Amino acid sequence: MSEAKSELPSQRAAADDLQRYEQLWAEARQVHGVSLGRDAWRRLRRNPSAMLSLTILVVLSILAFLTPALPLQSPRQVETLRSFAEPTSEHFWAPHLQTPSAQAEGTNDEQWAAFWRDVDLKFGKLDAIEKLLLQARVAVFGPYAIGSICGTDELGRDLLSRLFWGARVSLIVGVVATLVSLVIGVSYGAISGYMGGRVDNIMMRLVDVMYSIPFIFVVIFIISILSEDSIKAWLIDHGIDRITIFFFLVGAIYWLTMARVVRGQVISLKHEQFVEAARTLGAGRMRIVFRHLVPNLFSVIIVYLTLTIPRVMLFEAFLSFLGLGVEPPDVSWGLLANEGVRVITPVKIYWWLVVFPGIALGVTLFALNFFGDGLRDALDPKLKNR
Amino acid sequence: MTESPRLLEVRDLAVYFKTDEGIVRAVDGVSFDVDRGETLGIVGESGSGKSVTNLAMLGLVPQPPGWVERGAARFRGDDLLKMSERKLCGIRGRRVAMIFQDPMTSLNPFLTIADQMTEMTRLHLGHTRRQALSHAIGMLERVGIASPADRIADYPHQFSGGMRQRVMIAMALSCHPDLLIADEPTTALDVTIQAQILELLQEFQREQDTAIIMITHDLGVIANICHRVNVMYAGKIVEEADVASLFASPRHPYTLGLLSSIPRLDERGAERLTPISGQPPDLANLDNGCSFRARCRYAIERCANEIPELRMVSHGGQAACHVDVAEAAGQEKAHA
Amino acid sequence: MIGFLVRRLGWMIITLWVVFTISFALMRSVPGGPLSSERALEPEIEKNIRARYHLDEPLMKQYLRELGNTLQGDLGYSFKLADFSVNEIIAQGFPISATLGIVALGVALSIGLTAGIVSAIRRQSLIDVTLMSLATVGIALPNFVVAGILIILLVFLWPVFPAAGWGNLSQLVLPGFCLGLPYAAYVARLARTGLLDVLSQDYIRTARAKGLRTPTVILRHALKGAMLPVVSFMGPAIAGILTGSLVVEQIFAIPGLGVHFIQAATQRDYTLAMGLVLLYTTLLYTMNLLVDVSYVYLDPRAKLE
Repeated sequence: MSEAKSELPSQRAAADDLQRYEQLWAEARQVHGVSLGRDAWRRLRRNPSAMLSLTILVVLSILAFLTPALPLQSPRQVETLRSFAEPTSEHFWAPHLQTPSAQAEGTNDEQWAAFWRDVDLKFGKLDAIEKLLLQARVAVFGPYAIGSICGTDELGRDLLSRLFWGARVSLIVGVVATLVSLVIGVSYGAISGYMGGRVDNIMMRLVDVMYSIPFIFVVIFIISILSEDSIKAWLIDHGIDRITIFFFLVGAIYWLTMARVVRGQVISLKHEQFVEAARTLGAGRMRIVFRHLVPNLFSVIIVYLTLTIPRVMLFEAFLSFLGLGVEPPDVSWGLLANEGVRVITPVKIYWWLVVFPGIALGVTLFALNFFGDGLRDALDPKLKNR
Repeated sequence: MTESPRLLEVRDLAVYFKTDEGIVRAVDGVSFDVDRGETLGIVGESGSGKSVTNLAMLGLVPQPPGWVERGAARFRGDDLLKMSERKLCGIRGRRVAMIFQDPMTSLNPFLTIADQMTEMTRLHLGHTRRQALSHAIGMLERVGIASPADRIADYPHQFSGGMRQRVMIAMALSCHPDLLIADEPTTALDVTIQAQILELLQEFQREQDTAIIMITHDLGVIANICHRVNVMYAGKIVEEADVASLFASPRHPYTLGLLSSIPRLDERGAERLTPISGQPPDLANLDNGCSFRARCRYAIERCANEIPELRMVSHGGQAACHVDVAEAAGQEKAHA
Repeated sequence: MIGFLVRRLGWMIITLWVVFTISFALMRSVPGGPLSSERALEPEIEKNIRARYHLDEPLMKQYLRELGNTLQGDLGYSFKLADFSVNEIIAQGFPISATLGIVALGVALSIGLTAGIVSAIRRQSLIDVTLMSLATVGIALPNFVVAGILIILLVFLWPVFPAAGWGNLSQLVLPGFCLGLPYAAYVARLARTGLLDVLSQDYIRTARAKGLRTPTVILRHALKGAMLPVVSFMGPAIAGILTGSLVVEQIFAIPGLGVHFIQAATQRDYTLAMGLVLLYTTLLYTMNLLVDVSYVYLDPRAKLE
């Protein structure tokens, strides 16, 4: 240090600076960066209810996907003899499918043809993956199926099986319809927020107006018009069924909030330096919006996603309940609940027809809500402990 | 009661918080006294426990996650920490008043100034609505608000930051408290307003013989208005002295660091400001050594094994350090 | 204020006009017009009917005529309940639905606010966890499932309430409860979050430092600010209760507008459906307007834009 005196002050200052930067650098190295995702995951793991919900949702999705491979009875075969059978453990493991066997008559090919005809009757038109899963089922379980442990409905159809097949429809409707709303909402909000000025003003005013329209009534109105026989026939010819229409109608309703949220975020992000940098490099508007801004909204979008799915599922159940959603012989949980509520009479209480679909819907929506809340807390720790 | 001449005696106060990272010892064994008409400064960086100490005395620490672990805070002989909520309510605002840092958020945006000022004197002094109103207008005039009779019906957002802090002061002093705790009252204000507010506080102090605890991280404020200073670091008082001695010959390395990190007009030359390097310790994971040693240039082996206690030092106050800083600094200078 | 109301009224008329035009276009785009193809009619009768509903005129003329009628408050005749005008049906069903809606809103607010405030004050206690779990159940369960379970429990197993119908007070309890419950759950969560939010504000600390007792602090200083999110939720809540009434009226056989709307929709009674959509839009818009105005009275910082 004594030599320092002989140096010029500026040199001494520079040396000091260097030393200080080295020190800072050493400190910085001690701090380990944690990515947002990993940090959020760490917090999420500490939240038992969110983790339980996640587990339930994963298991449920896997089961729904594997439904054709599970040893279940037909969800649509009418057996009026056992109409309104109470939940029972009788015939817990009984043959149900006409699988080819040595005892039966006919050649193997004939037997297989008969088998597929029977399957068509019992399960409806299956796609390639479902057929594959069904073959796997025959290979593992043979002709056997679980008995009616959840009881049967008015037409003697097995409720357990209907719950599983209904799960497929309900979950897919929830996810796909939410994705549609997400695409619309994110694009609309991001463009409105990024453009700003008059465009933003008009776009947001439009959203305000739409908030005041009771869309559900309009949707019901539209559905009722679209289910007019001749229009329906035309739509089916073009490969559009009720569920597809539903996806788009829901997408058209549920994007409003998303658009508002995304717009707000984009406005706060668009003057950040990385956007300026992209602009300086000559990136176009759309590129900036969708390559640079939208990925930064990931956490907002994912949280909103988990919170919208249950609302959409509820809406599907609601429409199916009114007879305007999923149409028989397809099943969804809403439709099952509807059938259950419809047959409530003072004479005999078919509680299982209300309780089981209710539990299925309730548990799923519960899990989605809890998981969404947990995810929001994990991604945005400021909101915690509320 | 008469045996206790002190206005406020805080003894071994400890306040802990439960967090995700473990138990945080925000305040850990703090003792100090305040006398009538005196101004005590408490200085330290954010998170050192200076605000929590004072909130805890009035039972204002959010519970959960925080709680008072041990200690006593005797106000005119009565321990505030053992008092019933009901009795404590009679002290808060009436005997001990507080002013907070951010005048923008410390006033209720949903109530008029009149509502917020009169509810206090009506509660504590038994004023009627009319008495309370005229008293409030008087107080507002006193703190320098123009045409207070017209403005008293306004809402806080209709006032500027400096004006709101004046309102806060008028409100805090409207029951003539014995002790005013000012928690960084000038931090959020610009410099000219700062000076005015400090002057205002001193005026009131002279008039009403109010004791003030001035919590701040601004040594300038301390030098301006305080008689004595407590320096806090990581939940403990590390040095305590009267203002002149502390500024003249700091005895704790942290105080030394604080003093050399502020610009001084009275020192000429190319003396560069030296920030205190490093970060304050994690209060959830304190060990059995001095919590400042990681940032301390005078640290010796003993600092890692033994928590230094406050002891009398030559400037007449106390410091908690194993090293005689004056001597060590002197030696360093001699080397250079 | 006046300017604000006028502007909002202008937007409402534009909204209604858009809804009307879209509905009209949809209705007339159905092949064979609004007279559905379900049953074949004698040509003579069909001609009479077409004349009665003015379906024989050019489209533009029909549109202008109906728009004019609608503007005068005449929503035309129902297609299916041929003896009734839409206005008569509304006059008959609206009081019923409104009563149900008000009861449901009362349930939502009284249960929701109480639960939310108790939860916030007893934060992280057993009662808070219980109430908030119940609230999540309330949000997660569709109201027709709740209705089904309540009917099984309270009508058949332990007969306290009548199953269905309309006319006396006891018939109002179950449907009102089922309709209000999900919104009570939302209100509870919002009130809790809002109150916790406010309670952590600096000005609450100020109020406590002034020596005010806890009840005063909460009632006088915290509640107003905490209610703001609840107030802004009232718009969506009212919309939701209107929607929910479709299901609840169906289940409890209540002869309100919801049942008429579902019948109109499933039987393609276009005039009735359109009339009801217009009515619901007006209602929702007015309610939202009221909410916005009341917001300004609650929050001195807010301004009507």
